[in-house]
Amino acid sequence: MARFVAVRIAQAAAIVFLVATLTFVLIHLAPGSPFMAGGEGLVVPPEIVEQQERNFGLDQPLPVQYLRYLSNVVRGDFGYSFAAHRPVREAFLERVPNTLLLAGAALIVMFLVGTLVGALQSARPASKTDDVLSLVTLGLYSTPVFWLGLMLLLVFGESLQWFPVGGTHDAVVYPYLTALGKVGNRLHHLVLPAVALGLVGAAVTARYQRAAMLEVIRQDFMRTAKAKGLTERIVLFRHALRNALLPTVTLFGLAFPVLLSGAVLVESVFAWPGLGRLAVDAVHQRDYAVVTGAAIVTAVMVVLGSLLADLLYRVVDPRTREAA
Amino acid sequence: MKTLSTMLRLSAGTLLVTLAGCEPAGTCSGDWCGTVVVSAAAEADVLLPPASRQDVGIAIGDLLFLKLADVGPDLRTVGNAAFVPQLAESWEFTDPLTLVLTLRSDARWHDGTPVTASDVTFTFDVYRDTLMAARERQRLDRIVSMAARDDRTVVVRYSRAYAEQFFDAVYHMRIIPRHVLDSVPRDRLAGHAFGRQPIGNGPFRFVQWRTGESIELEADSTFFLGRPGLRRIVWRFSADMNTALTQLLADEADVINFLGGPDNVRRVEEADHLSVREYPSSVYFYVAFNFRDPSDPSRPHPLFADREVRRAVTLAVDRPTVLQAVLGGRGYVPPGPMSPALWIWDDERPRVPFDSAEARRILARRGWMDSDGDGTLDRGGEPLAFELLVTTSSAPRRQAAQIIQEQLRRIGISVRITELEFNTFLSQAANRQFDAVFGAYGGEISPASVGEVWSTAARETFNYGQYSNPTVDRLIRNAMNATDVQSAEGLWDQAITAIVEDAPAIWMFTPTTAAGVHRRFDGVSLRPDQWAATLWSWRVPPDRYHERDRFAR
Repeated sequence: MARFVAVRIAQAAAIVFLVATLTFVLIHLAPGSPFMAGGEGLVVPPEIVEQQERNFGLDQPLPVQYLRYLSNVVRGDFGYSFAAHRPVREAFLERVPNTLLLAGAALIVMFLVGTLVGALQSARPASKTDDVLSLVTLGLYSTPVFWLGLMLLLVFGESLQWFPVGGTHDAVVYPYLTALGKVGNRLHHLVLPAVALGLVGAAVTARYQRAAMLEVIRQDFMRTAKAKGLTERIVLFRHALRNALLPTVTLFGLAFPVLLSGAVLVESVFAWPGLGRLAVDAVHQRDYAVVTGAAIVTAVMVVLGSLLADLLYRVVDPRTREAA
Repeated sequence: MKTLSTMLRLSAGTLLVTLAGCEPAGTCSGDWCGTVVVSAAAEADVLLPPASRQDVGIAIGDLLFLKLADVGPDLRTVGNAAFVPQLAESWEFTDPLTLVLTLRSDARWHDGTPVTASDVTFTFDVYRDTLMAARERQRLDRIVSMAARDDRTVVVRYSRAYAEQFFDAVYHMRIIPRHVLDSVPRDRLAGHAFGRQPIGNGPFRFVQWRTGESIELEADSTFFLGRPGLRRIVWRFSADMNTALTQLLADEADVINFLGGPDNVRRVEEADHLSVREYPSSVYFYVAFNFRDPSDPSRPHPLFADREVRRAVTLAVDRPTVLQAVLGGRGYVPPGPMSPALWIWDDERPRVPFDSAEARRILARRGWMDSDGDGTLDRGGEPLAFELLVTTSSAPRRQAAQIIQEQLRRIGISVRITELEFNTFLSQAANRQFDAVFGAYGGEISPASVGEVWSTAARETFNYGQYSNPTVDRLIRNAMNATDVQSAEGLWDQAITAIVEDAPAIWMFTPTTAAGVHRRFDGVSLRPDQWAATLWSWRVPPDRYHERDRFAR
């Protein structure tokens, strides 16, 4: 087990190094300076642009900038945000928890809804319920996450006004709420973005779960459970679902990168102050340090998520440990 | 569905009131108890005016930090008679090169410290410091020094006399506190904690910045220029206009200062609780011709070095139609390189007309004929074709480019549109790699901005097309150096006429900015140069309080 973890960590370090290098090269190859643009019609005089480039060391040759950047990253220093005038690490410390909260909530939606729908479909295969749910999951599976987010925003935010349309909490009333009120306010704001991000994944989970359940239902022990006179609900949820969950666990490792990339879009649609939105803004502003830092942090989260999924799988399925 | 919706909204409301524990209504009385929520499509960068470059940061800075004096309602930048006192209560030119400003005795920083002449001289040093790279630094070039004679007196010395002497001394700088920032090394000033937790001297004091979400300001009820009409301002940040607009339409915000395209304006007009407020923009859009060959800048451009070709192209573009199609008619076709925010703007000034027949005749005289019958004019085997550079970040420019392409096609000119991401677009324009570029310039209320794009000196900066006319240069220089308003006005008039005759660009449109504002506010006014600067005079009459007006510290 220790050797397995060590190998995976070495692989992870190599991936993160590659991501850091590629992102650095790509963002610096893009034409234009981070200091050129203000807003529509607001352009910055070239001498001010040049001065800013000198201030931030962007007048140095690219290899010099790269070596300095790498040595800083190794020491945990992601540099300085040109746009926000602050260390990138400070911005990340504020943003990463929001992204993890959103991704975590979406993960719950994804597995809870997906597993239940898959189980429901497999209980009555080829029934009308199964057909309708298959259609719905296929539709959701094909839906771009940002479009789904926009639709949820327009219907449940703007038109029905059941849910707030953006942010992690209501900036106007939040300071005046009780502790319980603050939790409620945050949960209320979390619902739409989490559903938008988790629902597409739930469709994938449901399709996996349905297939796994149908596989398990054909097994002999299921026949035995039914022959013992257990109710259908107990047979389905205690015996079939428990065994059919194993393949779904593998989805966890796949889901995390998908959720993080989806979070980039959902965070923008719902004004959610996470790492993804920060990265999108930084790309527009050519905020080099934030872009490269966000890529590194995301890569670390993805490889850690994958590692966690592998370890989880080895815990729940003893056969993988024996094979290793 | 309607019943379900009502039940859910009622239960959510009940839950909110139960959990809220908010300040009971009635603790604030009068018509200064309102809260305004501004929905912005981007976050502020930093709340330190010399370092701030984003619109939102600048707008919030305008409520936290005052200038020495401000332009009057007519935005006239010449002379000093029409200016409105802010931190300076009076001023006097003791000789043509010396200005003496007297500060108010009751001006205070939000930590209670008096605002003194030493703050003003410190601010001048910061703005002039190359390490700060303040946008306004060049505006202060002709000021030799600012010195404190005593706590309330500032002496400004100029290198020479000119029309906007007073404007330059009082308008560009937002005064920042020496007692807080003096010990901070200049190279660390922009990143200092002050920029995220500022102490100002304006009508509102800083309360809180929740990164990525909001900034909250509260009124300084003892503000020395009068109690602000609002109790609280909350800026909410979104990643884009769609979400910002949805917040406004869903009644979660009160103001968007710039709605963008006609579709957004229509959606706001259709909302019962909102009104559309129009105000002039300080930005004008233009299509500039490149005078040099982009493949070899030592040679003149094969098409646009010829003034008659430039004139013909200008005549062939139906700008009122473009304005109607792109902005729904909300705006103006400018008579030259200017916006209505400039005091030299004149509605009656003649515009280059749309005259495609005359354009055809001019081109025929220059030898451009459709000799092969392919619909495109040609001369010596070369088609009359050019590339128009446009940025993808600007919907009005992209739409207008399509219409221009079609209008020019009708007279036999082929236009190839190249759309580029904004930074790439700026880089390519700055490198002169284009035949024609769809530019925009603004944010200025001084006619000096004309010279910043259309003078020979500007060829190193924003004069992307490399236009040069010594007569225009002289007229601009004389207009800027004129010491009386009438002379300045006449010289600017001559300069604009000379530029338009040269046709270095097609002055496409200058939009009327449309803001979406909640109907409960009184006293709403928006300025083209600093839309938020007058926000402190907005009010909510008590009989129009919204739920969010009742929450306050």
